[in-house]
Amino acid sequence: MESDKYDLIVGLEIHIQTKTKSKMFCSCPTGYFQQKPNTHVCPVCLGLPGTLPVPNKRALELCILMGLATKCSINSEIYFDRKHYFYPDLPKGYQISQYKRPVCSNGRVELSNSTVEIERIHQEEDVAKSTHHIESGTGLNYSLIDYNKSGVPLIEIVTKPCIKSAQEAKEYATRIRQIARYLGISDADMEKGQMRCEPNISIQEKGKWEYRDGVIAPIGDYKLNNKVEVKNIGSITAVEKSIEYEFKRLVEALENGEEIIQQTRGWNADRGITEFQRSKETADDYRYMAEPDIPVIEISEEHIERISKELVELPNEKIKRYIEEYKLSQYDAEVLSAEREVSEFYDNLVEKLDKEVDSLSTSAKLASNCITGTIFAWLNEKNLSISEVELDLNDLVQWNLALHRNEITKNKAEELLKKSLNDDKNLSELLDEFRTKAEKSSSNIGDIIKEVIEINKDAVTDYKSGKKASLGFLIGQVMQKTQGTANPNEARSILIEELEK
Amino acid sequence: MKIDIPFLKHIAELSRIKLSKKELEKFTPQMKTILDSAKELQEIDTDDKQPMKRHVPFSSLREDMPGDTLSQEEVLKNAKYTELGFVKVYGKVFGSIEES
Repeated sequence: MESDKYDLIVGLEIHIQTKTKSKMFCSCPTGYFQQKPNTHVCPVCLGLPGTLPVPNKRALELCILMGLATKCSINSEIYFDRKHYFYPDLPKGYQISQYKRPVCSNGRVELSNSTVEIERIHQEEDVAKSTHHIESGTGLNYSLIDYNKSGVPLIEIVTKPCIKSAQEAKEYATRIRQIARYLGISDADMEKGQMRCEPNISIQEKGKWEYRDGVIAPIGDYKLNNKVEVKNIGSITAVEKSIEYEFKRLVEALENGEEIIQQTRGWNADRGITEFQRSKETADDYRYMAEPDIPVIEISEEHIERISKELVELPNEKIKRYIEEYKLSQYDAEVLSAEREVSEFYDNLVEKLDKEVDSLSTSAKLASNCITGTIFAWLNEKNLSISEVELDLNDLVQWNLALHRNEITKNKAEELLKKSLNDDKNLSELLDEFRTKAEKSSSNIGDIIKEVIEINKDAVTDYKSGKKASLGFLIGQVMQKTQGTANPNEARSILIEELEK
Repeated sequence: MKIDIPFLKHIAELSRIKLSKKELEKFTPQMKTILDSAKELQEIDTDDKQPMKRHVPFSSLREDMPGDTLSQEEVLKNAKYTELGFVKVYGKVFGSIEES
């Protein structure tokens, strides 16, 4: 997705429903998923006359937490604004949002090769859920509205127009989702509508524009092309695909001499295209005004200090630590930090292993191999997450040590770990059983090797005539006879000794 | 801001109100009079005045505790049309976009 003539410029708006027990401005419960329609509703979120909104403290704390995690500054005085538009999903005729004084502003998110600047994070309320139908018989259009979602706390994270590729937009959206999950701000499940991404996309001729103070400015008498907003994006992959599609479409349109109008388009995931929804010229007249029903909220340094205690080490910080201190590869560092539960488990395992092993990087490598190898493969196969499985840290330490001290082969170790996971068997006991057998093999190893040499005369002849590769075959035979319990190094040296006689 | 017929038409459309040509001609001068009288307020110098808005500390906000709701039956009482527990609204709206 490259063009010699045009640059791609993307800004991303991400909405996230935050995880509170009650709605943003009333005490209705938030858990509406798969509930009966219009059962989590009260006069406030139904927009009945005479009701007053009362802001939810926890919701604002979560908004501030997201701001702190993305290095935003937090405003000391915040207030709400009314955003007016008429649509059946908005019972009051306006949405309580923030226009002039967002909770958080001027932040940034570090990605693998770039930094995305965040313009603002503001607090607002979600709208009702509507589905659209055509009435059989009359052929009339109608919508069915469920107000359970109306008033659920929603934060909107807005970037500056600083994203330069579809891939970068995807990485950014992934990182935002990760941060929200790490901090328990939201489950951020896009399929459930807990997170929604809306890219603003434009293309400009190379060398004819510049990025100045957070905005795109023309150079000389160049006239900037309008931007296009894409909605209905249901997955992180669709963020990337819709931007790639839109870039191609816009380049073609300009090359055909078409003028680009400011518009909203919808992503059609089945067809992999964007479709025109409406022009933006009049739709953006929201007539914002300060919300008179909610006082100005003062946020002191002490409040921010208290909220910041909820911050945990975030993925990019973990990745950095894993690479610099643990000497892991970029890939392993990213995989291990992708989910908070996995990285915490990993950190704990490394810490325990480090008490037994002389170098930190060895412990880190052992623990990384153990989790990203056998455990991930098993979790994948069973479609489970790490928090759904009981893994004993001490057992895993013993397992890793056995491997590190060459008491067990990699194959045999993996076999035992899988067995312990599959049959819910104690890994330490399996290791003990193995050790008992190994001791027995070790005491018998001379006899077993003699037997192997006796049976495999061809291989012995090969070896003696210079085909050193047949040694591997003979070691394999010894391992097979001892059901993997022999120490392969020991087997090798005794075999060589016998063969050289 | 110029208060003329196209402006009033635009405001009416934003509010989903249909106005006839006759009504637009009648309401435009009325709207102008209303806005002109409100304009007098803008002549007052408020530079050193605090906005008349109450301030509350963050700690006084509502605790996040779920409370009572209306029954589905009560919620639907004011709706002109209902179907399967939903409020039913006739008319074409733009696709399946959700504003938020």
